[in-house]
Amino acid sequence: MSVLEAVSTQSVAGEGLTGEAYRDAIHRWLHANLPASFRSDSAAFAPPTQQQSVAWEAAMYRAGLTGITWPQAYGGHGRSLREHLIANQEIGRLAMPESVNSIGKELAGPIILAVGTEEQKRRFLPAILEMRNIWCQGFSEPEAGSDLAGLRTRATQTGDGWRINGQKIWTSGAYRAQRCLVLARTGALEDRHRGLAMFAVPLDAKGVRVRTIKSIDGRESFCEVFFDEVEVAQQDAIGAPDEGWAAAIRVLEIERATNRMYRAWRFENELRHLISACKADPALSAMVADRHYAVRLGEVAVEIEVLKAHVETAVEALASGDKIGARGSLAKLYWSESHQRFAALAIELLSQASLPQTPAIKVARRRFEAIYLAARAETIYAGTTEIQLGIIADRILQLSRGK
Amino acid sequence: MSMAEALQPDEFAATAVRAVTACAGLGVREQAQNLAGDGLLGIVADEEVGGLALPIGFAVPVIAAAHAGLLGFPLLETILVSRLLQSSLTRLAAAIVSGDKLATIAWQGEAFAERDGGLLLLNGSLARAPSAASADHILVRMSGGAAALIPADARGVVVEDAAGLDLTVPEHVVRLEKVEVPHGSILPAGTWDLLSSDANVLRAAAILGSAEACLALAQEHASTRRQFGHALSYNQAIRHALARQKLGLESIRHAITRSLSEVGGPVQRDAAFLAAVTYGGSISEGALQIHGGMGFTWDVPVHRHLRRIRTLQAQGDASGLISTFGRNYVSEVAPFAEAGA
Repeated sequence: MSVLEAVSTQSVAGEGLTGEAYRDAIHRWLHANLPASFRSDSAAFAPPTQQQSVAWEAAMYRAGLTGITWPQAYGGHGRSLREHLIANQEIGRLAMPESVNSIGKELAGPIILAVGTEEQKRRFLPAILEMRNIWCQGFSEPEAGSDLAGLRTRATQTGDGWRINGQKIWTSGAYRAQRCLVLARTGALEDRHRGLAMFAVPLDAKGVRVRTIKSIDGRESFCEVFFDEVEVAQQDAIGAPDEGWAAAIRVLEIERATNRMYRAWRFENELRHLISACKADPALSAMVADRHYAVRLGEVAVEIEVLKAHVETAVEALASGDKIGARGSLAKLYWSESHQRFAALAIELLSQASLPQTPAIKVARRRFEAIYLAARAETIYAGTTEIQLGIIADRILQLSRGK
Repeated sequence: MSMAEALQPDEFAATAVRAVTACAGLGVREQAQNLAGDGLLGIVADEEVGGLALPIGFAVPVIAAAHAGLLGFPLLETILVSRLLQSSLTRLAAAIVSGDKLATIAWQGEAFAERDGGLLLLNGSLARAPSAASADHILVRMSGGAAALIPADARGVVVEDAAGLDLTVPEHVVRLEKVEVPHGSILPAGTWDLLSSDANVLRAAAILGSAEACLALAQEHASTRRQFGHALSYNQAIRHALARQKLGLESIRHAITRSLSEVGGPVQRDAAFLAAVTYGGSISEGALQIHGGMGFTWDVPVHRHLRRIRTLQAQGDASGLISTFGRNYVSEVAPFAEAGA
């Protein structure tokens, strides 16, 4: 915790700043307060512990950097989506650790805001922002990965609540979460997407068991979650029972279009880090000046510009009152595939570094090898590439099935 | 309220579609008169020369519509030259805006100047000049990024047909041998870079128009052509291919929008063009593939768009530009140092 002792408690949210002054304040706060050990482009980098991550994100919230668009009545800062974008651009420009509560802030929170009761909003939302409640997402199941309408976890109404039985999988961060946003079936399996309901299940409830799964990057972040006769209070049902699927769709659209809005600017941070590391290496400095790699790095830079354009267009559409709908699939497809190409180029370049390795190359290899592996999941989670292509074909192009 | 504030760029799209349709089957000079009548040749030129004095963003839907409709007129070049000349060669700019004179640009090559007493003589071999055989004036690049406007009928100017993909606005090569040019026809250093930056946005718009037409054709074909008892669009491979084309199309559109926004600059304009080349090429080739053997026939217009996209790619020297773009990006990043990391 010592690395966070000096974090400022000053808020940039309540200063009445707008536009570039708001951006400057965020920039200054982040540079003054982000510990060097949290920065993956630093030789001092040491992945933050869970406790440190919680403390850091709580500090970011107090500074006004999370919950930006949420209503003040529920702990948010009541600012606009355009200001949310400004903050995310500045967050993206630093090699910061990913949130350990992105499900809470970017999925559970928005869906509770949309369909939750007043009591749920007051109970859950401030706790998410203050990092008292970390959430995970219980959607996928062993027999229902991409095809969520085929999920089998069952919610049965009891006298004063619900009883849940079933199993979820690929539940990122369940081992550290207090709540799980569970999608469960209240009707028959044949009903497909009808009769689905959503619940905020406390993970310390009797009958909940979490088992971690080791992933290709050696981490044990995602999990299986088993629900065995788990009693859930009525007040933890999110939205009306038959609205579960509609709420799930809304969650996924939000997730695809607006979550981690900083990505394009983070990818830019990664690209600049890669180039800076190469330029400090005798062999790679010549390579990146050569036409072959200059062209390939230029292509990455162009894709980052295009991704920024996708994000900014989505923000403008939402800020103008449009629903993002299926268009979130365009951005999701674009960033996930683009990032994989970039990560592959990064490790290809870094593998040709001079010997002995410079400190800069050691830092970069550690970061980009992790990114390369993590990026393999990016075309799978939040709807696989194939699902996104199907959504674009069905809902944007409205292609005939033509039987 | 200025005209730019009172109008929206998309309002010009409908006018452009109508004007392009009206140009079908006409000669280049008749097309110029038609397009001028709709105010499209001087859309970004000053009002003093008969233009509408609108920002370059207003030319985007016009160029996109022109290319979607396979307009056989060098509209992109005309729009840019009329604005370029509005201060130094005002009468000529007005004649171009009114459709009385035709101008084009030789996008490839450079003219070399020599002095003979008080005369300035230009020599050189230039290429990729759309419709130069019909033009009254040809803008050419000079060393140092300057430019010169050459009368096409001046002594020493030879315009020849060139091998080229584009059937709709054919390219020509231009040879200059001791062509006397008045000093007033020389545009200063830096002209070419500014011209290219605007041209890249409009090329991206042109590719957007062609790509949009290709995707529409492919989608129509996939929805109506039946094989194995189903429309082609029943097959996931076809559906996903079209979805990727849509992603590319929206990527071009958004990149253009960003390049013209308040965060847009030369980098974003070049990026828009480079993205358009990448995605426009794959959309047009993909549309041809989805048409199967019919896509390889002369009558299906996908090949005309494909030809234009590849021609625009060459006119904008996309391969040279991506190399410069990458090198500039690399050069602006400092070597790793912990303090600056």
